[in-house]
Amino acid sequence: MFRPFEWQDLIPLAQGAWLTIQLCAVSGILGVIFGLILGIARTSPSRIARWISTIYISCVRGIPVLVIIFFVFFGIPLLFPGLEPDKFASAVIALTCFAAAYVAEIVRGSIEAVAKGQSEAADALGLNYWRKLTYVILPQAVKIMVPPGIGFLIGLVKDSSLVTVTGLLELTHAGNIVTNLTGDPIKTFLVVAGMYFVICYGISRLGRLYEKRTGVHVDPLKLPEPAGI
Amino acid sequence: MIFVENLNKKFGPNHVLKGIDCHIREREVVCVIGPSGSGKSTFLRCMNGLETISSGSIVINKHRLDDSKTNINLVRQEAGMVFQHFNLFPHLKVIDNVMLAPLKVAKTSKEEARAKAEMLLTKVGLAEKMDTFPGNLSGGQMQRVAIARALAMDPKIMLFDEPTSALDPEIVGEVLAVMKDLANEGMTMVVVTHEMGFAREVADRVIFMDQGRIVEEGTPEEIFSSPQHGRTQGFLSKVL
Repeated sequence: MFRPFEWQDLIPLAQGAWLTIQLCAVSGILGVIFGLILGIARTSPSRIARWISTIYISCVRGIPVLVIIFFVFFGIPLLFPGLEPDKFASAVIALTCFAAAYVAEIVRGSIEAVAKGQSEAADALGLNYWRKLTYVILPQAVKIMVPPGIGFLIGLVKDSSLVTVTGLLELTHAGNIVTNLTGDPIKTFLVVAGMYFVICYGISRLGRLYEKRTGVHVDPLKLPEPAGI
Repeated sequence: MIFVENLNKKFGPNHVLKGIDCHIREREVVCVIGPSGSGKSTFLRCMNGLETISSGSIVINKHRLDDSKTNINLVRQEAGMVFQHFNLFPHLKVIDNVMLAPLKVAKTSKEEARAKAEMLLTKVGLAEKMDTFPGNLSGGQMQRVAIARALAMDPKIMLFDEPTSALDPEIVGEVLAVMKDLANEGMTMVVVTHEMGFAREVADRVIFMDQGRIVEEGTPEEIFSSPQHGRTQGFLSKVL
């Protein structure tokens, strides 16, 4: 009943890889947008904003990704009758919720890593909170948040394999199906692993490109610029 | 111009300023001296709201700093501040450091802000450094840019928080020269400093602070030549 692993089996795997890329690109971009908002709220002078963002971030970071995926996939149709997002949309929602919380912490850390004197100098010039954030703090914080952000994005690609449980035909799920057809998990999952590796390696190369263009080292261990400049 | 009455500042259980009373007149240059931890920097930082006041009052140009209805950013536009560690914005060119507040706070036109910044940078002797980034400047140059940046908002008062303490001794002079020019132009200045020579030469009045209080104040002549208080005498005998 099994047939050997053939070249044509690469086609569903490549399609799965493409879906994984789309999934991670969409939820990564949305995660960065919401993460920025949450991270800024986390450091804002408004107590309510800090409070809401802190609760959200702590909750999401205290829940396994798989549980978030199940919750969104099964929960949304029950909580909002009539609303039945397709598998791709469910996966995007789940991964975005997850990514936003982690990106928010990276954003918060980067904002706090900008030397305190920068904030004081902006205050002393009469810049209000939003101008200070826009023209002084964020331009410096963005440089600090890129290295850990790249690291998180790579993690997101790997964690995205968990949405296989919803039946979405992403790379891991495609691997499973091909295994069932060929009975050759070793070859199949070697190819799957290789495809994940290529995607992740591509992202880390993007980080290196950024490093070359800006002189910022994409190295999570690098300390921020010393105070006093 | 600046009226400080019974100013108290506490950091938790630390009582840093214990009832400061002080009146600074227009065009006056006041130097605040004293040992580390005497509260002189905190006193200065209270004057533009970088530190909140625990009790007492500060009035700057008719703005009450202890009134929550006061728009602190308006007060800050009238009181420029220069920091010990310069705090230039490293991601902006020198000229953009100087132009930022006029463009974004005062909403000046770009041409006007640029002309003003060029004028100020020429004044502090750094016209040729306009398009470099702060990271490529020496400490003395950075501090002169910081002075130009603070002047760009046309402040009526300039506050200096140990402006030369982070500088190599041989470049302290270039910063003090710029400050002396400012004083001669009639700027109202409050300078927290360890440069006794500068205080003696430029100040109209010297305030000696210790342990959160103003111990003694007077003309430089009075303070440096015949200090009345024992703690002033002790401090000056060590630093002069």
